[in-house]
Amino acid sequence: MIDVIIGGAILGAIFSLIAVGLNLQYGVTRILNVAHGEFLMLGAYVTNIFFSYYGLNPLISLVMSGPVVFILGILIQALIFRKIVSISKSAEELEFRSLLACFGLLFVIQNMVRAVFGAMPISNTYLTEAIFIFGERFQINMIASAIMSVAISIVLYLLLCSTKIGLALRAVVEEPIGAQLVGVNVQKIHSLSFGLSVLLAAIAGTMVSMIYTNINPYIGPQYTFIALAIIVLGGLGSFIGSLAGGFIIGYIYYLTLKIEPLMVMAIIYLFLIVFLISRPRGLFGR
Amino acid sequence: MLEKKIKANVTLLLSVLALLVLIFAPFFLADYHLSILRTVLLWLALTVSWHFFSGLTKYVSLGSAGFFGLGAYFTAKYLELSYRGYFPLLPMPLIVLLAGLLNFALASAIGLVTLRVKSIYFAILTFGISEMLRNIFQWWEIRITGTRGTYLPILFDSGTIYYSILITTLAVFVLTTILRKSKFGLALKMIGGCEETALHVGVNATLFKTMSFGASAMCIGFMGGCFTTRFAYINTDIAFDPLFSFLPAVMTLLGGAWTIYGPIAGAVLLSLLEEYLRVAYPYHFLAIIGFLLILIIMFMPNGLMGIVEKFKGKFSKERINP
Repeated sequence: MIDVIIGGAILGAIFSLIAVGLNLQYGVTRILNVAHGEFLMLGAYVTNIFFSYYGLNPLISLVMSGPVVFILGILIQALIFRKIVSISKSAEELEFRSLLACFGLLFVIQNMVRAVFGAMPISNTYLTEAIFIFGERFQINMIASAIMSVAISIVLYLLLCSTKIGLALRAVVEEPIGAQLVGVNVQKIHSLSFGLSVLLAAIAGTMVSMIYTNINPYIGPQYTFIALAIIVLGGLGSFIGSLAGGFIIGYIYYLTLKIEPLMVMAIIYLFLIVFLISRPRGLFGR
Repeated sequence: MLEKKIKANVTLLLSVLALLVLIFAPFFLADYHLSILRTVLLWLALTVSWHFFSGLTKYVSLGSAGFFGLGAYFTAKYLELSYRGYFPLLPMPLIVLLAGLLNFALASAIGLVTLRVKSIYFAILTFGISEMLRNIFQWWEIRITGTRGTYLPILFDSGTIYYSILITTLAVFVLTTILRKSKFGLALKMIGGCEETALHVGVNATLFKTMSFGASAMCIGFMGGCFTTRFAYINTDIAFDPLFSFLPAVMTLLGGAWTIYGPIAGAVLLSLLEEYLRVAYPYHFLAIIGFLLILIIMFMPNGLMGIVEKFKGKFSKERINP
């Protein structure tokens, strides 16, 4: 019982971090980046490699790789998606074209990582000592990564609520044209949201690399679809929805994992499908 | 009028010529080239089937892999079970037909519930359904039958494989062309243009969308069914490969979605390129395909047919205003 409560919460914390990034970026740009999980996978690889070759603490390597990943996101937005926005005639066309382009990006990143590092799963051994909570055994790294994820989500929430840039981001999510009218530089906000979401994915990747031992080039899409299910569940553009949805999906994932590990992704897809059909605005959406 | 007639005759002549070449191909092509040709035919039929629903109604489906896989799996399992004596061994075309009908039933049921979800959500939804089917099949194999994949007991020679694919491709072509040129196709185009208007003039949009989704899935299922003839072994990763979902969409985009020549041109070109890359760069070909995909989307907004039209427009303009 304790094991389900805490195990689900650990997964939920990390899942919501993944979903928050994707939700922010989709809400702002209306480009559904299905390669989101690929950036998570990149983050996990970078952390693992720094750790196993240089013995670098994953949390410190995050500080170093974070800005690089952020700029990578901005570059991808500037090089690919700005052009696609300019050639699309309608919002629907933009969504469709950018969706396919993101799938292209997914193939590129996935196979480049495989070409460089091989398909063998890698793992690290950072903080694998055990800790006992109410008699249940957990590894410290799991607890640490869950706490870190929640902390980052809270910091992000505070930034979105209290800073001027956060206000501009929220304005673009709610009223893209109105935001432009009151002088928000939408172009800049789009770049920023892309960079931020990629950065959040990479951070989540670090967390995932601390928990799981089978980091391989193909783990990305799984997390993208978990994040999508969370966004659909929590509502598009709703920060609180993503957090809550993350924990709900986290618990569902953990429970299914306990009962029938082979059905985990099928259950996630089922949730995605059922919610898309019955309540596309989500539990917390307007 | 005369020009139109000449054009129609030229098109007819070219199609008959192409058909003759395709029919007699096994007599002058080596096995390897024949296998390339059948891959091109497969992608051609998949793209045409995809275009019949998604190109006309503008509901973008990324679930083709699910229907292809279901068709392929049904056929493979049926062959296996009938070989073991559980089912009567039916002639191959009949099994493929059954696979298609199964797809039609499933897709119609799915369409009935999902086709009110618009735009990108529909794409995600169909992709989710396809991945879920793959997961369920995987679970079923591991937990229930305790196997991984299926070995096909009956092997076909390359001529039989080629003709079965050629005949199915032709059937798909004829079926979708007849439907597209009928009132049914007109209604679909109208839904694609503006669904509200279509509803106002009395088109039963739900019925037409569901039926065409079903018909498109049925054609994809036919292809999945007859393509199993080329395998000796099949598993969920082969049958439900997400490429079956993306490439038809990309091929249509590459050619240009508003005319039927677009998907045809796109499918032939991209499948040949894919086949070449697969052989030349076996380890990097997916990365190259992904890169090409991005480039196509960025730099060819109207596809190959857009470029053709552009040149045509240029020439005729010059003729009118020298």
